[in-house]
Amino acid sequence: MASGARAARSRRPVWPLPGFGPSFDTRGKGLFVWLPVSHWTVYGFTTVWVLGVLVPLVLLVLFSFLKTRGIQFIFEPTLRAYLDIFEYAGWPVILRSLRIAATVTIIELIIAFPFALWLAKGTRSDAVRLTFFTLLMVPFFLSPASRTIVWRVVLGRNGLVNSVLMSLGIIDEPVDWLLFSEPAVHFGFIGPYFPPMVWPIFLSISLIDDELLEASRDLGGHPRHTLRHIIIPLAIPGVVAGIVFTFVPMLGDTVVAHLIGGGNVLLLSSSIYDLITVMNYAAAAAMAAFVLALILILQLPLIITIRSIGGVNEIFASLRR
Amino acid sequence: MTGGGYPSQRIATWLTVAVGSFAVFLIYAPIVWLGVMSVSERPLSGIPWPLGSVWYDELFRDTRKWLRPLELSLLIGVMVAACCVVSATLVGRALPRMKRRGGLLMVFLLPLFFPGIVTGGAFFMHYKALLGLKMGVWSLVLGHFVWAFPFALLAMLVVTARFDERLTEAASDLGASAWHRFWHIEAPLLKPGIVASGFFGFLLSFNELPRSIFLRSGEITLPLHLWAESSSHVSSVPLIYAMSTLITIASTVLTVIALRMLFFGRRASF
Repeated sequence: MASGARAARSRRPVWPLPGFGPSFDTRGKGLFVWLPVSHWTVYGFTTVWVLGVLVPLVLLVLFSFLKTRGIQFIFEPTLRAYLDIFEYAGWPVILRSLRIAATVTIIELIIAFPFALWLAKGTRSDAVRLTFFTLLMVPFFLSPASRTIVWRVVLGRNGLVNSVLMSLGIIDEPVDWLLFSEPAVHFGFIGPYFPPMVWPIFLSISLIDDELLEASRDLGGHPRHTLRHIIIPLAIPGVVAGIVFTFVPMLGDTVVAHLIGGGNVLLLSSSIYDLITVMNYAAAAAMAAFVLALILILQLPLIITIRSIGGVNEIFASLRR
Repeated sequence: MTGGGYPSQRIATWLTVAVGSFAVFLIYAPIVWLGVMSVSERPLSGIPWPLGSVWYDELFRDTRKWLRPLELSLLIGVMVAACCVVSATLVGRALPRMKRRGGLLMVFLLPLFFPGIVTGGAFFMHYKALLGLKMGVWSLVLGHFVWAFPFALLAMLVVTARFDERLTEAASDLGASAWHRFWHIEAPLLKPGIVASGFFGFLLSFNELPRSIFLRSGEITLPLHLWAESSSHVSSVPLIYAMSTLITIASTVLTVIALRMLFFGRRASF
């Protein structure tokens, strides 16, 4: 083992990591020290990652052009699967999913942008910022189903809202559309998809140098001008990332549509699930490929905006500051 | 810049905070209400009274149904956490100093752009239908790891991107061995990232549902168990409330500990 590391070292007279350069003397330590710091470890891991994770995701697109017999794929190119998904799920499900996801994304953006601005630059209290910071981070690590299931007894026919409204005499009979309806699904999405919209916008705004804002003020700029000409252009990458991180998972959401929408509001995810359970893998793949195509189209602006601010390397640099 | 002299601006600020707080309220209201309903004797009535711990008693009286799923979820969670710690440490230490870090980071973050159900379906088709492998614990671990690793890596990068290499150089000049430099200088400084990536890995695996649906093949994790119960018969729903409350409390505590470790001491630079 040790000799292998030494051989590798002799082939590469310059240590691969400039920072650890001459200080990282590996004589006599062999593979142990070499392994954890070398960028070859990263390349090795990346290879495994690409083969094990990215290849299956890419092959999905290939599967969508194949036929299935039982559990086997038949390697014969066809568009059958795409015809199947329009027959099976049909345009209504696809259009409804897109419409609901787009509407909620816009609502989130309208709520989240000013809020992120306030959180990043408005509030002067660190305690307030840390509190919201934690409140917005914790939901990522909670079970989506646990967070959603209780809406049923709040919004249901005999639920809390109906009981309160009835006892106050505002309504005489329970309102039905509070649950298992499209408005209910919209409402159910707003809470869970707020943090993924706030986070990227918040990060991009907090990376704006305060001196820029002060300079704008000192030069007599009205806050509205500062917002329009400095903050919004610099926050665009965050906004685009927020849209991607909200819209994409919402399209594939399994929980909210099922628990709050019941069987009445079918979305794409349930169609993919149904297609796989009936073993129409090609059609399921076509459906997923369709979602992927949408995501790719959505990501183009993200890639372009990140390029325009100097790429991901710039984000690294700002992290280090 | 907000909250300045203009009255209209002050109103706008208040409105912003009020609406944003309402969105946060929409996240936490159902969680708190879940806790309240779990100590209600008749949770399906919509009104919490009368209160009582009957469902918790019931939950712990008959542990047969959920003990196996809990054990499996704990096992998978620990395995995913271990994978996350090791790989996030290996990659996270080297990545900020590499030339192609931007592109590599994108490669690792790519799965975040795929809805869970698409990832689950793709893995199922690739590993089972194409390669003919039998799904089981390994595929659950793989699916959860793919979901958790980007988060673990980001947590690690928060720490490693700020790591000052002069520290290890100084230690080296003072005669510390490579092992000493790692164990006594680097590891303590990276500890928050290591702990956070482990916690995040565990929690994301422990609560994962959409990928598990496809990758389980007969195995039942806790979220799958709760999911099946909540979609089926009504009588066991109150039990789900009690159990979900316990899981949520445990997850929240772990997350807050991890976040405090990761960001504590550093004055919020955001």
